[in-house]
Amino acid sequence: MTVSSQGLLPHHASGEIRVTAPSLHFLTGKSLSRLHDGAAVPFDFQLIIASGSKNNVVARALERFTVSYDVWEEKFSVIRVRDFRKSGMRLSANSAESWCLDNIFLPAGSLPLDQQLWARLEIRAAEPREPLATQADSGLNLATLIEIFSRPSRPQQDRWSLESAPFQLASLKP
Amino acid sequence: MKLVLILALAASALLGQTDTDQATDLNVNSRYIIESISFLDQRNYKLSTSALEDIRRLVGAKVNTEALDRLSQRIRAELRAHEVTFKLMRGEAPEAVRVLIHVDQAAGVLDASVPKLMYNSRQGFTGVGEVAATAGPNALTLRMLRDSDTLIEHFSGVQAKYDWLALDGGRIRLGFEFDAYQDQYDSATLAALDGASRPSSLGAGVYGSRLNYEPSATFVLAAPLTLTVGLGFEELSSLPTAARPVSANSVINTLRYHQRWTGSGGNKQELDAGYNLRAATTLLGTDLAYTRHLAQARYSYSRDAQSVEVTIVAGAICGQAPLFERFSLGDSAMLRGWNKFDLDPVGGNRLAYGSVTYGYHIMRVFYDTGSVWDPGKAPELKQSAGIGVSGGLGVFEKGAFLLAVAFPFRSGPVIPVLIAGMNF
Repeated sequence: MTVSSQGLLPHHASGEIRVTAPSLHFLTGKSLSRLHDGAAVPFDFQLIIASGSKNNVVARALERFTVSYDVWEEKFSVIRVRDFRKSGMRLSANSAESWCLDNIFLPAGSLPLDQQLWARLEIRAAEPREPLATQADSGLNLATLIEIFSRPSRPQQDRWSLESAPFQLASLKP
Repeated sequence: MKLVLILALAASALLGQTDTDQATDLNVNSRYIIESISFLDQRNYKLSTSALEDIRRLVGAKVNTEALDRLSQRIRAELRAHEVTFKLMRGEAPEAVRVLIHVDQAAGVLDASVPKLMYNSRQGFTGVGEVAATAGPNALTLRMLRDSDTLIEHFSGVQAKYDWLALDGGRIRLGFEFDAYQDQYDSATLAALDGASRPSSLGAGVYGSRLNYEPSATFVLAAPLTLTVGLGFEELSSLPTAARPVSANSVINTLRYHQRWTGSGGNKQELDAGYNLRAATTLLGTDLAYTRHLAQARYSYSRDAQSVEVTIVAGAICGQAPLFERFSLGDSAMLRGWNKFDLDPVGGNRLAYGSVTYGYHIMRVFYDTGSVWDPGKAPELKQSAGIGVSGGLGVFEKGAFLLAVAFPFRSGPVIPVLIAGMNF
């Protein structure tokens, strides 16, 4: 599944660029069924900022969030794989989706203030048997995530892609 | 084997062992304890001993996604299924979950195997070759077999069985079985039937072939308790072939309970008990009227490298049952070491049997005792013992093997019986 619209809203606060996407719901369909069955479903996120043109990528953030659904409490839990200490517990589906977006961001310091920018967010649900590529001490292997997003998604794989309208860093609201 | 693997909630000893495994499990459900593991469709899947061991290990431990994934992959490989997934459900106890394994064979699977190969130095070879095809809820099994071991008659032929598992989420299974056998007899059996010692309770003489049509329905009453009801239409073509076939049409009921437990300290228990009733009644147009009762229970307990297994079997036939229904002892499973044709070449209408097996690692030592007799005669208790190696306690487990030498307790010369078998 792909959502490609200008429903991605960038924000600038505390020197970081974050995004919100009110129309985005990725805890749906096959992934949601797996979650309700008690499985942990990893979602790979890529947030890109392009400058000048949409293909000129100047900043990129990659994260993997593992979502699971507590079969007793009927609430979602999210863990940022890069850092197990960062987690959201007892969340509704919408809150779990928002939590993921809140926890992927880019430093604004390296971005040009006066040029036109675009933000793009890509999400892929990992396949059930896709290796987590975690490392016991350092969490997620970043190279693995880059490799994941550099290859085309599988036909059956759930994926979402959103773009923002063009914006300038100076004009962004917190 | 019957694989309704509802395993009771085990105690806390295992929990400590698995805490370290949970450290990297990102599933919020990893804090819950696995109360039981069962198959979603309640089917009888045959798994290897080590796969069953994996299941036993997981029950009582905290949810470990990786371990469950590994188990799913192992089951998928063993069953050659299209996909095997698991599902967590709330358990009976708070903070406990049930694991339901879903085997997806929707794409259709064809599997050829040799589920049984047995050699008994007295009875000869017994072998079963099987081809099983599954497509969705439909399962078709074709077997070719030669059996010199389990009945008084030596029989060989084919079995074809169709199962449909789609009713009530797999809680009801409908089946139809057709069997066609050619029968042969030991010279001792033929001599006994010709002589004055032929039992008056025997419902028919020897027959050259046997056909069986058997529709049935199996209900999961309360897992792991199941009830099978069905009808058996047996047609015995007598020798000589000019004689009219004899029918033995019966109502069949089987109640079965199969449970495994993993207890504190790693001990494991298993109980497999069943009662089978076959009532051949004139309502079904049978030529032979009789009622056959068979009750059996097998209990095993194992801890660390040691194991004990106790088996008890009792049976009674009222009326005139044909040879294939009559009880016998002295084969590769019961009263091992004796020759069934020495004990009673035409079988009996009463059966009592008990066995104890002690195991240490793969070593097995067993003691069997029992008697088969006819009403009006005093039962004569026979005993035997043996030693061997085995890869499993239950004979139903895939991959279980047995190599044993058994001795009858008798006066005079004792000839040991070699038993070798494999459940592939």
